[in-house]
Amino acid sequence: MTRLACFYVPMFVLAARLRSEPDLLNEAVGIVEGNGSNAHIVAATRRARKKGIQPGLSLSQARSLLPKLIARGRDAECERTAQEALLEVAETFSPRVEDAGEGVVFLDVTGMERHFADDFGSADAPSASDAELRLARAALRACDAVSLPARVGIAASKLAARVAAELPKSPTVVAAGEEATFLAPLPLTRLSPELEAAAMLQRFGLISIGDLAKLPESEIASRLGEVGRELHWAARGIDPRPLMPRPLPPEFREGMELEWPLVALEPFLFIANAALDRLSKRMEIQGFACKRLEFTLTLDPEGYDARGIDLPAPTRDVKTMLTLMRLDLEKTPPGAPVVGFSFVAHPDRPRRAQLSLFGPSAVSPEKLATTIAKLVSILGDGRVGMPMTVDGHLPERYAINVFSPPPPPDMKRTPARARGLLAVRTFRPPIPIEVTTREADGDDVQIASIRSIADSETPSPMPNSRNRVEAGAKVEIGGTVRICSGPWRIEEGWWSDRPDIREYWDVELERGGVYRVFRGGAEWFVDARYEM
Amino acid sequence: MAVLARRLATQFQLLEAPSILKPASSPQIVESGEGEAIRNLRATLEASIASKLTSGSELVRAVARQRREEVLPTTIPLLDALLGGGLARGKMTEIAGRGTRFSIVIATLAAATSIGEAAALIDASDSFDPQLAESAGVDLRRLLWVRPQTMKETVTAAEMTGATGFQLVIIDMGSRRPPGRRVPDAAWVRLARVAESHGATILVSAPYALTGTTSEAMILAHAPRPRWLGRGNAPRVLAGVETKLKLEKHRRLRPGQTTTVFFQCEEAIRGGRESGVGSRISEDVFSDARLATPDTRKAS
Repeated sequence: MTRLACFYVPMFVLAARLRSEPDLLNEAVGIVEGNGSNAHIVAATRRARKKGIQPGLSLSQARSLLPKLIARGRDAECERTAQEALLEVAETFSPRVEDAGEGVVFLDVTGMERHFADDFGSADAPSASDAELRLARAALRACDAVSLPARVGIAASKLAARVAAELPKSPTVVAAGEEATFLAPLPLTRLSPELEAAAMLQRFGLISIGDLAKLPESEIASRLGEVGRELHWAARGIDPRPLMPRPLPPEFREGMELEWPLVALEPFLFIANAALDRLSKRMEIQGFACKRLEFTLTLDPEGYDARGIDLPAPTRDVKTMLTLMRLDLEKTPPGAPVVGFSFVAHPDRPRRAQLSLFGPSAVSPEKLATTIAKLVSILGDGRVGMPMTVDGHLPERYAINVFSPPPPPDMKRTPARARGLLAVRTFRPPIPIEVTTREADGDDVQIASIRSIADSETPSPMPNSRNRVEAGAKVEIGGTVRICSGPWRIEEGWWSDRPDIREYWDVELERGGVYRVFRGGAEWFVDARYEM
Repeated sequence: MAVLARRLATQFQLLEAPSILKPASSPQIVESGEGEAIRNLRATLEASIASKLTSGSELVRAVARQRREEVLPTTIPLLDALLGGGLARGKMTEIAGRGTRFSIVIATLAAATSIGEAAALIDASDSFDPQLAESAGVDLRRLLWVRPQTMKETVTAAEMTGATGFQLVIIDMGSRRPPGRRVPDAAWVRLARVAESHGATILVSAPYALTGTTSEAMILAHAPRPRWLGRGNAPRVLAGVETKLKLEKHRRLRPGQTTTVFFQCEEAIRGGRESGVGSRISEDVFSDARLATPDTRKAS
């Protein structure tokens, strides 16, 4: 038999708002809908309700009862993200989840209860009902983790599960086949409070759901039509519609509409920090990390500012994301006060690494992703990564890729003896030079002297005092050539219209230093210095 | 008068030393390496079993000692001999001067990455050549290449990578100081602490001594001498560069030792293989130089 669970957040409008502003949890807060004289209370905290604030009161009435009432408008963004968070929690329990909106989620938990260990110390042999109770308690804990005070009900039909979830003593599990018995004593308003048909049935003298269930279905249908027939089914614990699972969302969203426009960066980052923290927790529940963060700022009086940050590696580190956001906003401010924001995190699987006991220790993927993201934010794109060689003959070719080291070997190795290779320091870009040549044997050209066209910096002499650093004096690369070796010819792209044809020389100057010089067309360059 | 006397007495009481200035109780005795319980336990056990018994504090000290003694070899034998086996792990080593510092950097990167360790090169002068590094044996997949533009960025990047868990972090300042203000000495102290707390090997290669007293060892690389193959009007090939290294400072070894190392040019190796010259050059690498102590220098 199918078993369905219902997650229900009472006073969802208020819960969604308090999730975004947890500081207001213990305050007298009222959520207001409508503007001006039409503004009325739709939900209020316990502290406000104790003072007589009830849904339906106008804001002025509420203020007269409780002058210190904190009024907050309904925030569609908060409600949407809270609903998404509830759905994501449900998805950790079952792959089949239906979004019923307004803080209600149904999920198919048939067979899922077996995954939950006995964590409440039942000495008896676990029955199916006990296992479902364990599942429901785990669900309550998971909802608490995303700051949603949910209630959970489990039954064989959606309606029975919802009614069970609405009961104050949560969680409630309705045993299989006992839905009708469970519903029978409950008032008819529980079936579908918003329907006029319920009121009509009450006028017929029907008080409880059981009264309706006892009547013949055809009689109800002939008097109330299709709605009545559906109500009769519901009263007997039969779902008129099956569970309709939703597809998995490709992204995670968090956002908020602000009470007043923000003009400074720090207050915005303070609020953004909390939103990113919620986003991070939601991704953690699903086992994801953020690969790309998009954020849209709602500007005052109108307009939007949409931006995107590509993270070098998937991460859930809020500090990193906040740093990147700060740098982006500092670089290009939005240009108008911000009255709302929406964050969209594109998920990706975080990097995992198996640590070795005997080999070299591996770098933690999470820490690595965070460090690389911070370095990229400080140094800029293309300045951090894994160096790569590129096919071709030109020596200056290189590429830089995402740093993702392979796992270290299982056992320690002994390093191989070095080749003792002489390194060159590459000049990026090559330095243009003027060259004086002299005749040599054959057609080859030998270089007599070189002189850089643009000023370049060469090492300054050693300072006298230790630990004293001085800027290098600007001296041109140039002088008389003592020894010249070359040329070596390189040709690349010979099949194209403009192939790269170069001739290379190694030159040692009289004043010291060995440079790599090349001629490309009619121009001469120094592209490297043999490490001196 | 009596009132005045009482007031003075009150003031005098106020001037009395507060209780917090009272001498503290005697410090607690720190547990020695071999506690009484361990001694008793060892006494009751057979000698063969007792010798294998290790207390927690002994284990901690052994691990600390092992960490102190661990080195990362640069795989340049003469340089490793100069440094007492290689670059000390958990410490900062500096190579300064106008010699072949970058060749030592590349060799160290090759050594670390070849044994599967993650390395970070903070390339302040943006002069790293991936093609050459790959030829030298560097496993580029394990190398994080960071190209800062200022001195502050350079030190910050080194600190961050060291704290992340990279086993080798190399700062190469190039042939000149990067632009920007010089970093305070405290930055190098912080970097040395990062190396110690994370067990990272940090190598600083700069034209001038930068790290001061914070480094474990400092090598001075003297201006090198290029060696050419071929004489007179014959075509020349750059064979390599010879450079003299001097141990300027070391916390555990006697400074003043010198050695001369030779680095080959890749083209010379390739050309030599074809012409048969290469084998002779390869044999000469590291072997034509000798480790000279201060005493031998005086004698010579």
